[in-house]
Amino acid sequence: MQRLGDFRLPHFFNYPPYFTLQPVRETREKQVQLWKELILDYCRSQKIFIIGLEEEFPLFSNPVIERSLNHEARGVFLSALVSEGRAEWMDKSHKKCLILWLRIQDWADHIIKFVKDNGLEDSVVTVEDIRSGFESRGTELAGIDRGVLMRALRLLEQKGKAAIFKGSSSDDEGVKFSV
Amino acid sequence: MRRRPGIAGLQNAAAARDQYRLIGENVAKVRTDLMNQQLATFRSQLEEFARKHKNDIRKNPTFRSQFHEMCAKVGVDPLASNKGFWAELLGIGDFYYELGVQIVDICLVTRTHNGGLINLQELCSLLCQRRKTARESVSEDDCLRAINKLKVLGSGFEVISVGKKKLVRSVPTELNKDHNEILELAQAHGYVLVEEVEKRFSWSSGRAIDALETLLEEGLAMIDDGHRDGKRRYWFPCVSSISSATGSEGLKI
Repeated sequence: MQRLGDFRLPHFFNYPPYFTLQPVRETREKQVQLWKELILDYCRSQKIFIIGLEEEFPLFSNPVIERSLNHEARGVFLSALVSEGRAEWMDKSHKKCLILWLRIQDWADHIIKFVKDNGLEDSVVTVEDIRSGFESRGTELAGIDRGVLMRALRLLEQKGKAAIFKGSSSDDEGVKFSV
Repeated sequence: MRRRPGIAGLQNAAAARDQYRLIGENVAKVRTDLMNQQLATFRSQLEEFARKHKNDIRKNPTFRSQFHEMCAKVGVDPLASNKGFWAELLGIGDFYYELGVQIVDICLVTRTHNGGLINLQELCSLLCQRRKTARESVSEDDCLRAINKLKVLGSGFEVISVGKKKLVRSVPTELNKDHNEILELAQAHGYVLVEEVEKRFSWSSGRAIDALETLLEEGLAMIDDGHRDGKRRYWFPCVSSISSATGSEGLKI
């Protein structure tokens, strides 16, 4: 079995036709489904949030079988994720894609759990602490994309579970949780 | 005997005919009895044999297939009825029904990938993986027998031979001779090129493309335009399981 770092690649990654968009509808649906799962699994395991369509990305080519996805295929697979709400285009030209292997709502739930586990109710935490602090180490939150984290926090704010404080710079924004 | 005219002569002739028939019937009966007796003996011997080697039959696939062969030769089908003596003795009826269910399951799961046509070998190894917990191992012969039983359901399960390989078909696709020949050719590398098909069978390009298009539509083939020579390859998941398809093909052609 081929690996990328510590990630186990699925069998289809070694089967050349999966790198060419299939013309027959049913076959294409299956193909898109497999790629969607692979992209989400890989991004989750490697904590990757942003995929650049025109940049090198380990999943977009397989040197072992000398195949790579062309621009159209990359677009099709990512668009399929976007239409399911598991990704978002970050620009109009569809060159950068934000991968939400957890939906914003799920991230918010993780934050709540983090707050409860660490007894942070009613105390102020900096945004940076949530991303890279001691408490978050080893949890899903470690290394979370800042933009994704802010959106999850704002969702919590809307629900009245958190209050975001602006600091002097974006580095020292703080959050007070009232779970 | 000189034939005499009159009533007495006719009566004699009729009596003689009756006698002959009686004797003939007797002979036939004796023969049938003898046959019955022999068959009964044989049957009891076979039962004795089956009883003695019950465990071997259950556990050893080679032995099982030989036992089946022996039964087939004398016209006994141990699978004919689940209620019969054989099933009770050996429990093999259940064994094959169970296999049948698992085979259907595997065919359904892999259908999206291979279009409903699967290599018997691959099916068998998937079956073995699934049955890891079960003690008895399963041979290709067992798969064939189980599939044979599935035909009763009329669900279109069928085993077709393409070249040296056997493929199990779980969708009612009609494959014609052209398609079969292409599948056979594809066994070499797992894929074919249009020009390769034309050259090998001396077909017009229309005929080759037409057959390949049909195979695509049926979900049995996938196209691959990624090779550096720029030629489109038609891959057949049913002849090369994904797990065994590695990158060695880059060296060929």
